Amino acid sequence: MTASAPAGFLDPALLARIGDLALLARNVVDGFMHGLHRSRRVGLSLDFAEHRAYQPGDDIRRIDWRVYGRTDRYYVKEYEADTNAGVTFALDASGSMDFGTGPVTKFDYGRFLVASLAWLSQHQGDRVGLVTFSGDILEVVPPSTRHLRLILHTLGRAKAAGVGRLPTVLERAARLSTRAGIVVVVSDCYEDPASVQHGIGALRARGHDVILFHVLDPAERDLPGEGAVTFEDAETAERLPLRPEALREKYQAEVAAHRADLAQRLGRDGADYVGLTTDQPLDRALHTYLERRLAASRVR
Amino acid sequence: MNFLVPAFLAGFAALALPILFHLRHRERDRPHRFPSLMFLRRIPIRTSHRRRITDWMLLLLRAAVVALLVAAFARPFLGRSTAQVTTEPSRSVVLLFDRSLSMGHSAVWPAARDSARRVVTSLGVGDRIAVVLFDDDAEVTQPFTADHGLASAAIEAARPTSRGTRYAAALRTARRVVADANAGAAEVVVVTDLQRSGLEGLAGLELPAELNVRTISVAPAKRPDAAVVGADVQRIPDKDRSRLLVSARLVSRDHAAASRVTVALTVSGRVSGTREVNLPADGALSVAFDPVPLPAGRARASVAIQPDALPGNDTLHFVVPAEEALKVVLVAPGDASDETLFLERALSIGRAPAFRVMRRGAGALDAATLRDAAVVVLFDTPVPTGAALDGWIRGGGGMIVAAGRRLAARSGSSPVLPGSVRGAVERINDRGGAFGEVSLDHPVFTPFREGGAAALGAARFLRYPRINPDSGAEILARFDDGNPALVERTLGQGRVLLLAVPLDAVSGDFPLQPAFLPFLRRVTLHAVGYEPPPLWRTTGETGSRRPRGVNPVSGGRHARGRPGTAARGLRGPPGGAPRGRLLRYV
Repeated sequence: MTASAPAGFLDPALLARIGDLALLARNVVDGFMHGLHRSRRVGLSLDFAEHRAYQPGDDIRRIDWRVYGRTDRYYVKEYEADTNAGVTFALDASGSMDFGTGPVTKFDYGRFLVASLAWLSQHQGDRVGLVTFSGDILEVVPPSTRHLRLILHTLGRAKAAGVGRLPTVLERAARLSTRAGIVVVVSDCYEDPASVQHGIGALRARGHDVILFHVLDPAERDLPGEGAVTFEDAETAERLPLRPEALREKYQAEVAAHRADLAQRLGRDGADYVGLTTDQPLDRALHTYLERRLAASRVR
Repeated sequence: MNFLVPAFLAGFAALALPILFHLRHRERDRPHRFPSLMFLRRIPIRTSHRRRITDWMLLLLRAAVVALLVAAFARPFLGRSTAQVTTEPSRSVVLLFDRSLSMGHSAVWPAARDSARRVVTSLGVGDRIAVVLFDDDAEVTQPFTADHGLASAAIEAARPTSRGTRYAAALRTARRVVADANAGAAEVVVVTDLQRSGLEGLAGLELPAELNVRTISVAPAKRPDAAVVGADVQRIPDKDRSRLLVSARLVSRDHAAASRVTVALTVSGRVSGTREVNLPADGALSVAFDPVPLPAGRARASVAIQPDALPGNDTLHFVVPAEEALKVVLVAPGDASDETLFLERALSIGRAPAFRVMRRGAGALDAATLRDAAVVVLFDTPVPTGAALDGWIRGGGGMIVAAGRRLAARSGSSPVLPGSVRGAVERINDRGGAFGEVSLDHPVFTPFREGGAAALGAARFLRYPRINPDSGAEILARFDDGNPALVERTLGQGRVLLLAVPLDAVSGDFPLQPAFLPFLRRVTLHAVGYEPPPLWRTTGETGSRRPRGVNPVSGGRHARGRPGTAARGLRGPPGGAPRGRLLRYV
């Protein structure tokens, strides 16, 4: 990705709407910490991390007056265990994600979603990281407050291909970091719900908050088409001749049952499940996400 | 509507293909890419719907294409007979199909058959074809016919033989076939691998101007082959029986890499020895076997390697003749037993062949005695008169007249002798004479050609008869005083040698010299006209027909033949060894 790529992912109009949501979120959590998310380990470490420019709403007690004396500017001292949460975005880059009947494929939709959330999290002071995966982990960007551009660059050159194995990858991703944080999984979840639950459970066991964005194309949900058609699996190239109109109702019921099963199993394990289709506006997805995070914060 | 090639109408069965194709592959033309078939696979699918033909227009178009193709190959025509269809005059083709040994190579024979088939299929209706299979001889397997199926059958029935190649024989047969059929202008198509040795005899062949000869070469650029190309066979005396020492020569050519082969020696049907050798990719080597006991009588033997692309030359068959002795009838005066001692002892030594000396009186040379005799030696004895001996000699017999003091004293002559004996020459005063001018290029003196002449010169002759050669006689050797020592003449198919060299130890010391034994043996063999029988025959070999004379070794005729009796088409190794396993292809 070139230097102008981030702007390509973060559409100004979209960012403006996300900005409203961010302001709303920051107001919700302002009483707990500077960032949007509540720290999981308050007081365990007071190691100095970095200076950050003062922003309206920051506690003036945290201004570093020594720096002010030298530079005549306001800076706030940041500590590792202060307010930042580590947010790791896990994006499914398997071949099934490279499918779309609308303007964008599922993979593009997922990239926009991850980029927007990363941007949002970055502006809230969170450490952001990225994991792309297919049959195995493909790319890893460790969580950091300075890795936004690297994440956007990685997203820009990622390609969807290969056979995906979501449960296995989630188990491996859980072992990447010893620090608990937030893991945002973006996938089409073509796995058995019990297997997905097992993978999510591995993340939860490490203390992570998990949010699963289940992205589908409308065609995957509805199975359109008439007449004899040979369907070819995007990952395995396996072919299956059939007539969609004869199977549509059963297929839709299968998909709905799958999504419901996923939501039920993940909710049971304390993870969040968000079903999305690529024809839905992105801000709606973000809004739903932040609302659910807010609800979770209140519970805590 | 009629069809020129109705057999192609069977191709209408191919109409089933578009239907199958339509049913099986219709959906596969443009598969619809879908993220996952996980949910679809869970739903039971009834495939009967897929079997239903929905696009009838596409199916009919496909079937029509197939039907048109089949009809085109069947060559339909309307309202005309076969004779009317052919506006061009029919052709006459003589197919000369090479079936010699070299064509049996796995890289050649299939290509040759394909080429021959193409010649047949290229013919039009009404064209006639004759099929002639040839090697070193030609055989008309299918005379001129307009039924091309018969020609094809003749080609399919052809098999490679173990014989050589003679294009002259094939072309001569083609000329005769065309002449017999009054075919007029005809085309002769020769399908062959163009062996150079097959060109023999072409120079004198005349073909009619209207005979057009075309050659289709099926010779590959490389022809990997390994062959047993020869064997050195020696008979080793071992007490009362013989042992056979065989050394085979192997040749490899055009192979990509060296290989390991097993060479097996078989004698009288039993494997007598095997050797594992590394055969070079391109080269030759010799393989020696341990001596093996030689059975009594004639023995058939072979040296073989594993069959390869050209199995015809992978086995060399040869025959080891029985160890039979040449019968020598010795006629000598009754008081000359001491003088013939060295002669008899010398002839009794040696093998391949051995001599069996039978002493007879001069009056006993009747037809019965001479019938199985190889040579008659008259030791200082006048030539008996009578028709029996003369006829025997003219029929191919051999006679040696060793002149001595008795014949010199008689100063007699005979019509069968190459000269007359007139007195004797005394060389006592000058300590004996010696050999002078000797025709070393003559077969008698073969052992003395390379440095052996000195051995002849060591002999001293104190007394010998003086020979006056006849005009038609050939003087093979002279004494140092110019007198003839050995004179030869031919009589009919026989041969008579007059020898003035003393064979006793009184008139000279020749019997005591090393040269005596080989000299006497060669003189005797020359009189017999003996030639060692070949152990094997080679494919394409041109040899001499067996002459009328008796060959005591093989039990048939001996090897001396009449001039101009060259024969071709030798069928196999002598002694009745199996055909088709000959030494070398040409």
